[in-house]
Amino acid sequence: MKQILIDPITRLEGHGKIAIFLNDKGDVANAYLQIPELRGFERFSQGRRAEDMPQITSRICGVCPVAHHFAATKALDDAFNVEPTSAAKKLRELMYAGYYIYDHTLHFYYLGGPDFVVGPDAPAAKRNVLGVIEKAGIEIGKEVIKHRAYGQKITAILGGKATHPVCGLPGGVSKGLNKDEVKDIETMAKSCKDFAQFTLKLFDDIVLANKSYVDVILSDPYQLSTYNMGLVDKNNKVNFYDGLIRVTDQKGKEFIKFDVKDYHKNIGEHVEEWSYIKFPFLKKIGWNGYVDGKNSGIYRVGPLGRLNAAEGMATPLADKEYKRLFETLGGRPVNSTLAFHWARLVELLYATERTLELIKDPEITSDKIRNPVGEPGEGYGVVEACRGTLIHHYKLDKNGLIDKANLIVATVNNAGAINMSIRNAAKGLIKGGKVNDGLLNMVEMAFRAYDPCFGCATHTLPGKMPMEVKIYDSNKKLYKTLRQNM
Amino acid sequence: MKTIVLGVGNPILRDDGVGIHVANQLKQYVNDSDITIDEATTGGMNLLDLIIGYDKAILIDAINIKDAKVGEVRRFLLSELSSVHSDNPHDVSLQEALILAKKLGEKNIPSEIVIIGIVLKKIPYIFGEKLSPKIARSIPKAMKMALNEINKDIKISI
Repeated sequence: MKQILIDPITRLEGHGKIAIFLNDKGDVANAYLQIPELRGFERFSQGRRAEDMPQITSRICGVCPVAHHFAATKALDDAFNVEPTSAAKKLRELMYAGYYIYDHTLHFYYLGGPDFVVGPDAPAAKRNVLGVIEKAGIEIGKEVIKHRAYGQKITAILGGKATHPVCGLPGGVSKGLNKDEVKDIETMAKSCKDFAQFTLKLFDDIVLANKSYVDVILSDPYQLSTYNMGLVDKNNKVNFYDGLIRVTDQKGKEFIKFDVKDYHKNIGEHVEEWSYIKFPFLKKIGWNGYVDGKNSGIYRVGPLGRLNAAEGMATPLADKEYKRLFETLGGRPVNSTLAFHWARLVELLYATERTLELIKDPEITSDKIRNPVGEPGEGYGVVEACRGTLIHHYKLDKNGLIDKANLIVATVNNAGAINMSIRNAAKGLIKGGKVNDGLLNMVEMAFRAYDPCFGCATHTLPGKMPMEVKIYDSNKKLYKTLRQNM
Repeated sequence: MKTIVLGVGNPILRDDGVGIHVANQLKQYVNDSDITIDEATTGGMNLLDLIIGYDKAILIDAINIKDAKVGEVRRFLLSELSSVHSDNPHDVSLQEALILAKKLGEKNIPSEIVIIGIVLKKIPYIFGEKLSPKIARSIPKAMKMALNEINKDIKISI
């Protein structure tokens, strides 16, 4: 059969492109992952009707449409000076939990998990969902498909379409729930809860029971002692949909806690000549380059960042798992990048428990789903996207049209940390200019743990991620190029 | 024959959204309850969800092929491609999603999956809804090819 090769790299410019710089001894000095940042969003938004933003921003990327949808909707609540009804908030959070169920399931079984379930030493071609099914069995494969679909169905019942929701309006939502839908969601959520518990057990059996995997998790190259950030509720428990932004330090203590309105005061954006991405940092500490520790303003977001930045989970089973994670890995904060995978599963369980809580709430079928809006002004919205804190900030003119728009997206929050993780993984494998064969594998595991979203239309295949690593000597001359799946 | 025509791409990323422009324009020529025309800013598993249950799927997408010129329109069977627009790094490719579905016993996979690809050399990184002139000029050809897949009898002058 004729095969037409489509070169993914030319299509996805930058995706999976890594540059490693060596010092004059031939050891790793620095490493950078190029994240192709989409540009011109502010200009694109100017003059548009503010109420279109939840739909428009959900098109920014195919990865986090639901997160953008609600960050935008919440920014509009604020901009139109309206508090959504209590039922509307619950409906939004319910839908948001559905998004976590399908997104975290997809990441664990299809993308990140294969590194562990199939094994960190397995060839790249085997480290994909098919490899997982080969190892875990066809029946488990069917369960994975089923529960990912349940998460999507829950999202779609509430949002119209799972991938591009249309329900969020300033002051509420466009659609409530009827009794049949409640019954459907409850049945699916129960099954999802069992499945999340099963998945944590699978992680125990395959990963935690295997000393060599645990050693990799705890190994030096995968440790990063940064600040951690995430949304918390009034009890400092993890919350995906609402709350204050909490940052904890290297000892697990609260460093700052702020409302999204104060993000400018607390988050700075460092500019590099070679990147369109601005690297966020904590203003109180400042930008001190790609280093970790308490004197560096770099922080981490996403599943592990959230668990580290909180003091527990708000549902009983997930809270138990939260405690077990920290007990097993030596207390909070856990700095192992690969523990993101475990943290993701604790959050999956929380999402299913929270879905059940919300669906059993008598108010969930209320028809009071929207409050009337006020005069247009300025608005801030924040949610926890699956891969980290996501902020939308709009200024509206007197006609309700967008005048200014600024977004801080999840992966960008992690950009500084991702570069360090790649550098540390590479350090152990390049010595005196000699490049170890396992380099691509270890580097890939380092950045995949973050579940990075490159915010654009890109092709990529798990286990077949097109990746190019360029290694430069101390004179910045290209020394070696390594490629995988290109 | 139940057929779905999907414009694939990102409608706010300029030329990347060309497939969606084609699909939207096709709607005025097709009035048949067996034929669904829709758009998808997604890939892999989600794309598979959308085409399951149809006998035939026609995906219209921007595509990058070596040795082809910008704006050329090509037809392929999915099985001929080595990789297909997955739209995001948090997903599998459509081929992988298909292999997985078959392995798990899914019976409603379309027997024919055709891709109408509009050749693009560079993915735009600046937001916008307009197509570049070369890509916009390829729309009528892509529409004709898509209509030809749906029903050889539909004749249009575009």
